[in-house]
Amino acid sequence: MIEYSEKEGRMVLKLVYYGPALSGKTTNLLQLHDLLTRQGRGELMVLDTSGDRTIYFDLLPFFLTAPSGLKIKVKVYTVPGQVCHDATRKAVLQRADGVAFIADSNPSESHSNFASFDNLERNLALVGLDIETLPLVIQFNKRDLPQAVPEREIRATWDPTGVPVVLASALNGEGVADTFALLAGLVYDRIDARYALTGQHGLSRDRFVRQLTSLKEEP
Amino acid sequence: MSAQTLEFVVGAEKNLRELLLDSDVLPLLKGALQAGAGGARVVDEEGEELWGETDGGGRGELLARLPLYLEGEPVARLELFGSPAERDRLVPLASLLGVALDTVLRNNLKRVLTTEIHTSVVNSSHEELMRINSELAAGEARYRELAENLELRVKERSAELKRAQALMLQQEKMAAVGQLAAGVAHEINNPLGFITSNLHTLQKYAARCCAMLQFYREHVRVDPPARLVENAELKWRELKLPQVLSDIGDLMAESLAGAERVSRIVADLKGFSHVDEAGEVEVDLNQELERTLGVLSHQISGRAEVVKELQPLPPVNCQGQLPGQIFLNLIQNALTHAGAAPRITLSSCFDGERIRIGIADNGPGVPAGLRGQIFEPFFTTLPVGSGTGMGLAVVWEAVLKLKGTIAVADAPGGGADFIITIPAAKEGDRHLAEPVPKE
Repeated sequence: MIEYSEKEGRMVLKLVYYGPALSGKTTNLLQLHDLLTRQGRGELMVLDTSGDRTIYFDLLPFFLTAPSGLKIKVKVYTVPGQVCHDATRKAVLQRADGVAFIADSNPSESHSNFASFDNLERNLALVGLDIETLPLVIQFNKRDLPQAVPEREIRATWDPTGVPVVLASALNGEGVADTFALLAGLVYDRIDARYALTGQHGLSRDRFVRQLTSLKEEP
Repeated sequence: MSAQTLEFVVGAEKNLRELLLDSDVLPLLKGALQAGAGGARVVDEEGEELWGETDGGGRGELLARLPLYLEGEPVARLELFGSPAERDRLVPLASLLGVALDTVLRNNLKRVLTTEIHTSVVNSSHEELMRINSELAAGEARYRELAENLELRVKERSAELKRAQALMLQQEKMAAVGQLAAGVAHEINNPLGFITSNLHTLQKYAARCCAMLQFYREHVRVDPPARLVENAELKWRELKLPQVLSDIGDLMAESLAGAERVSRIVADLKGFSHVDEAGEVEVDLNQELERTLGVLSHQISGRAEVVKELQPLPPVNCQGQLPGQIFLNLIQNALTHAGAAPRITLSSCFDGERIRIGIADNGPGVPAGLRGQIFEPFFTTLPVGSGTGMGLAVVWEAVLKLKGTIAVADAPGGGADFIITIPAAKEGDRHLAEPVPKE
């Protein structure tokens, strides 16, 4: 957690979208920005890019207020996926409250997925976070690809680990809000007891997730 | 991160004061005044003024109030004052001012975030580089020290090895001497055994002679001579003196021969070991070969066949025990490897310059691939524990001291043929030795 001030009634959470290069992390944020209502979310900030590739990070903030008046700000970050930007990934990962790992469904990228997940495990350990307890969601993106890895194989790999998997096609907006909602729910579970969100602030899990992920009304 | 580096977390909250400088805001507010506004200011959410500019002629009425957003969150308000008459012109000016401030704020935030992450990456890369650098420096220092000391170390190790090898050679010589001593003891023990046994018998015989003499003494006093002769004859037979007398001669002869044998062995051993001689002496290598056969006789007799093809040789000046060491090891080697019925051929000849000694056996021979190694210390073809691998190393060292060479070849009809070549003594004192007298 980046910040919590009981006196100011303010809490800032940090979620990080991790994953191999070009797996669709920025696309996820762009789609979240487009899909979710204007109310409760801030502006998407895309920092300078190099040839349309993320080299620092992207940031999309969300806001919600608990019935108690506690202001919660959820900052969603992407990391640069390219191997060379490891130091940046490490910096962004510091004090994260949850991680969405965006994997590429293209079979030719299986190796990149594994390498990136391995990198995530190592960097989490380096910044003092425990992958066993940190809220973590895997998104298999690019399900629209004809050659996408079969769901059966994905389930066979990940179901035994207990890490929830979402199938998505970020380019078409499918699975994007689901991933975010799933991660938000896990983060709520993690911090509820400690910060008495239900008890003291009257903020239920359902309300927390719903406020963060309310979709735009169809025009 | 260490204490020297900046401490921050990407995404830590920032307030407006950290993101906007006076030089960012004040010129914009002043610009609004120049455009006709009475006053312009930025206040935070609590209404406290952060930046403000007011015209000398009074600020007028509040005409516009616009929120300023940071990361999408309203954090401050822009307020524009002026004459109500100018409202139509000043309200759009306020919007323009808001957009300008918003743009500056957004760009400053991006710059700050970029700078933060850049600093973090540079710091961690720098730390990593410093760490690698110090590791490399340590590695380099280690290698430099190693390189500087390498020659010294090699010298030390070589000296250590030489010492160890010299020690091993010494021990091997001692082992050979011990083996020899055991053999010689056995050789001496046999004749000593029968000498002792014979002497015991002689003791008994002598007792009987004494008894006989006593008998004569007593009977000469009391009996008449006629009876004495008869009784003496009876007693003579009773004591089996005829056999005793005939045996005494044999016993004595045997004992003498045994004693002579012992003294011959001791003489062989003394000659072989040259214990009485210090420094260099003139030796005849044929004689040394014979002496070696003498001290090995307990291993050879009845088991091995020795063929001698010896020609007269000039004497060689050397430490007396060296030829014995060479021949003893080579002949023992031949006995060890030649199998059940060893046949050892000893040959010697002199071509006018060099003496050539051959010691050949009828064993399996030395494979060509091993011939370079057999003279190295610790090399052995025997099972572990059976041989020290030092015997031929002792030979090599001794031959070297004689300024000679040794090589191994195939003996005619199979087996190994060790050939030693030794330069003869200098021209001036060279002469042919007499053939070794047979003992």
